[in-house]
Amino acid sequence: MANELAALSQELAAAVERASGSVVAVHARPRFSSSGVFWRPGVIVTAEHTIRREEEITVTLPDGTNVPATLAGSDPGTDLAVLRVEHQGAAVTGSATEPAPGHLALAIGRSKDSGVNATWGIVSAVSGPWRTWRGGRLDAYLRLDLTLYPGSSGGLVINTAGEPLGIATSALSRIAGLAIPASTINRVVDEILARGRVARGYLGVGLQPVELPDHQKGLIVLSLESAGPAAKAGVLIGDILMALGGRATADVEDVQTALEGQPVGQSVEASVQRGGSAQKIGIVIGERPQRS
Amino acid sequence: MREFGEIAERLRRSTVEVRLKGQQGGGSGVIWNASGAVLTNAHVARAKEAEVELWDGRRLPARLSWRDARRDLALLRVAATDLEAAAAADSGALRPGEVVMAVGSPLGFAGALSRGVVHSIGPISGMGPHAWIRADIRLAPGNSGGPLANARGQVIGINTAIVNGLGLAIPSNAAVDFLTRGPRPALGVALRPVPPGLLLMEVEPEGAAAAASLRPGDILLMSLDELHTALDSGREVLRLRFLRGAGTRAGRLPVRETSVRLAGARAEAA
Repeated sequence: MANELAALSQELAAAVERASGSVVAVHARPRFSSSGVFWRPGVIVTAEHTIRREEEITVTLPDGTNVPATLAGSDPGTDLAVLRVEHQGAAVTGSATEPAPGHLALAIGRSKDSGVNATWGIVSAVSGPWRTWRGGRLDAYLRLDLTLYPGSSGGLVINTAGEPLGIATSALSRIAGLAIPASTINRVVDEILARGRVARGYLGVGLQPVELPDHQKGLIVLSLESAGPAAKAGVLIGDILMALGGRATADVEDVQTALEGQPVGQSVEASVQRGGSAQKIGIVIGERPQRS
Repeated sequence: MREFGEIAERLRRSTVEVRLKGQQGGGSGVIWNASGAVLTNAHVARAKEAEVELWDGRRLPARLSWRDARRDLALLRVAATDLEAAAAADSGALRPGEVVMAVGSPLGFAGALSRGVVHSIGPISGMGPHAWIRADIRLAPGNSGGPLANARGQVIGINTAIVNGLGLAIPSNAAVDFLTRGPRPALGVALRPVPPGLLLMEVEPEGAAAAASLRPGDILLMSLDELHTALDSGREVLRLRFLRGAGTRAGRLPVRETSVRLAGARAEAA
């Protein structure tokens, strides 16, 4: 009794089986384990929100053995954490070209008890770069219409051809699971392996959008961290930030975007309105303090 | 493309609704052969008599034939010879990602179909040593005892529970084992793990535990896994250590012992 549904079923199971060699279980929190993916040889990527301790982290490899892992670093902004293990593992290769709404997607995870696991659904929305509520930037917004169970986060999201879309997380959106795109993972893994963290630019100011009498929009400085980068450069409370690094700042989001293109330690030119006259101030970008 | 509904139609004809007289709730069941064998969950078949409603609306009285509370399986018998039996597939060949569908009476709505994929296959800590099929599928309480089928409509499991949103099904191979070899030995109790061991919540009047003078409130000094291993060991008599006495501190209580004679259930049932 052959049918197309049975053929699809076989295709899905085969895709899970191929991908399962790259997917591990990560034990770094009480009760539920999470999942992780061999992104490079000896390097596992998982969802940062599932890492609740920095020591005694172990992973269950595809062959069922448990090995210790060390936390190389994490980036709460993009909900990514990077682990190192002695084992090389089978790193994922390639990435899905142009995921589109409606494409079938599988989220593949692993648990110690019952091995590899899979959930199935579709890509429900795709858009360009997106800033998470945690402050990080994803290269694309990949919303999934599939169920992420406890333990699914950090697992590999693939299409039916087995190409990786990214890593599953339930922590970046209230309404749906997301795939953290492969290109974002590559960028974050590079930074974490090089520096142990993702440094984010920081000015040390509290800003509020305002509209000037000539209908220009800017950001008024409401608070100033003493000895912060902006304070050191001579910025005063009441200054209205009009542009940063040549980019107009009508919204706080614009400041984050402007800072993203600049490395920590570099000077960036701020255009401010002070007492009705325009001024230019050079601010040396600081690093955002780590969340404790 | 032949879609879910068409493939599920045969499955629907092999699925029944199971009801107990005078009791709320019920569940589903699978017609296992044309001559009246209906498989369901032990937690659905809680009484000796039940009523089974077929897909075409016929209602037949059913008699409880076998019950294995530990594996949560029960065999009902109805007096009929023209039933449409489900086809079963080998659950041992199942892989995560395979398409599955479930038919049952979730919340009393007969014949409802849901679909999903196999999530994982294996034991679940705290739920005994047996393998379970976990399915990424939306089930509701009335699905209990009903079929989980593959993309060809062949039964690969019996839907039994919902844990963290995942459907849990007993693999069809375990169901076949139950149907060919009968229920395994049981204490005839409902129990709950507590810090020193296993607290007896209920003791069936005619069960092995009741015959050994065990009472609700007694605490067996063993883990669930140890109990399962002992019950499956083939021994006819188990020596069990337990504590008795509510309200007193456990450390002060004398440890008691009793011998439980397990009924040779498998031989007897044949």
